[in-house]
Amino acid sequence: MHLTTTQALLALALLAGPLSAQEPPSEETIEFFSLNCKSCHTIGGGRLTGPDLKGLGERRDRDWVVRFLQDPASVLNGGGEYEQKLLADANGTYMPDLPGIDAARASKLYDLILAESALEKSQFAGVQVSDRPLTEADVERGRRLFLGAERFKNGAPACISCHTTAGLPGLGGGVLGPDLTAAYGRLEGRTALTAWLSAPPSATMQPVFAKRSLEGEEILALVAWLQHEAEGGDFESSPRSLPFVLAGIAAAGALLVLFDIFWRGRFRGVRRPLVHGGNEA
Amino acid sequence: MNSIMNDYLFFGVLPYVSLAIFFLVTISRYRQQTFTYSSLSSQFLENKQHFWGSVPFHYGILIVLAGHLIGFLFPSWILSWNAAPVRLAFLEISGLAFGILTLVGLLVIVVRRWMNIKVRRVTTISDWLVYALLILQVSTGLAIAVHLGWGSSWFATSLAPWLWSLLHLSPEVSFIGPLPLLVKLHIINAFVLIGFFPFTRLVHVLVVPNPYLWRKTQVVRWNWDRERLRQS
Repeated sequence: MHLTTTQALLALALLAGPLSAQEPPSEETIEFFSLNCKSCHTIGGGRLTGPDLKGLGERRDRDWVVRFLQDPASVLNGGGEYEQKLLADANGTYMPDLPGIDAARASKLYDLILAESALEKSQFAGVQVSDRPLTEADVERGRRLFLGAERFKNGAPACISCHTTAGLPGLGGGVLGPDLTAAYGRLEGRTALTAWLSAPPSATMQPVFAKRSLEGEEILALVAWLQHEAEGGDFESSPRSLPFVLAGIAAAGALLVLFDIFWRGRFRGVRRPLVHGGNEA
Repeated sequence: MNSIMNDYLFFGVLPYVSLAIFFLVTISRYRQQTFTYSSLSSQFLENKQHFWGSVPFHYGILIVLAGHLIGFLFPSWILSWNAAPVRLAFLEISGLAFGILTLVGLLVIVVRRWMNIKVRRVTTISDWLVYALLILQVSTGLAIAVHLGWGSSWFATSLAPWLWSLLHLSPEVSFIGPLPLLVKLHIINAFVLIGFFPFTRLVHVLVVPNPYLWRKTQVVRWNWDRERLRQS
């Protein structure tokens, strides 16, 4: 069979038509979902901190999702029954703002969720969480990882740089990030906390952890430590800034005294030494 | 979106503008006005108060700046050191102490400049501006140390990679975007100071006679007859 150029072009256009309508999600969209969404949501793997997104297309239309992704808090606050249920299911936890989101990207994310929902098993069906029982050794390893006494294999910084828990010794941990004493309960337990740690989505942590992800056993140890801390029941980490400030002031005072001693023979003026010298003579 | 634009402006553009001004003006001023490279010290006008200003300020700021530099060049050293809570506490308390020394020294210097009429007469508008910027810089630094500890660790994890990205000419402002306003203010003011540096007496930092510290001692001999000079 011989085709004319027009016929060939027509055939190509027919072939390309349906393909472009179901354009596969771009690598960039998949990566965005991995970095920002999968630590709280699965697609077909059940609820984590946020709801399972499988079948989102049947629950919400594109317009709602695009609005929601660009400003979750205002949609949740200004919404009706559905939005209130979302908040209630998440124990009142708001979805954080997504870095670098705009309408176009939100729309692509909606397409990705629809495409993954249609699959029998989505690549975002959830991280494989080991369900082995956590031991005392895990708690101890988790504590060491939290403090930085044992370094994370991929070079991620120790939790104490920015976080504290009630059970830490001395001046405790950093305060740039939230106190994690109650994090185990806040993130609804082992499964969700594991998913969260597998790709920390907060704006501060994401750039730091994007290339330095935690390994499965490290995550389990941290979960064990945070569970241990949450079970301590002491959710009030004592404020430790006062002893820190007092120590700083005392050290500065001691240094001033040292300066005075070290430079005791310093030049203090012309007149007084002359007068003193005169008296002595 | 707007805040992303601002972040890019402050943490992706301002540093380059400041550094460009720093290098160009520093070099051209050295070539054209060599003898203005001085701290214009007022020590000879009054030395009693000056000791309690100049000494704590200089030792304080030198140590604090050295700490920032080590955090930038060798972030992994800092993280290794901070791996034991006792060492972390030691580093943070030392940093705070030298920060307090810097602020105490700075305040003594400023009060002396204002109260001592002879010293005030030789003080320019640019000097007052430098003081204002320095007070803002040191006090935001202290506020960060107290309210957002432990900065030595998170400087190594969040700020060092951003500084290196500036050096690689592809600024990754996402490291800075989510940080608290206090930290952003400290960083912006630091680059304003760097840009303002070459127009001020701060240039003396570049011409400190460091070799004095390690050169051999010199014996000075007069090779003329001082008696005759006096009588002539």
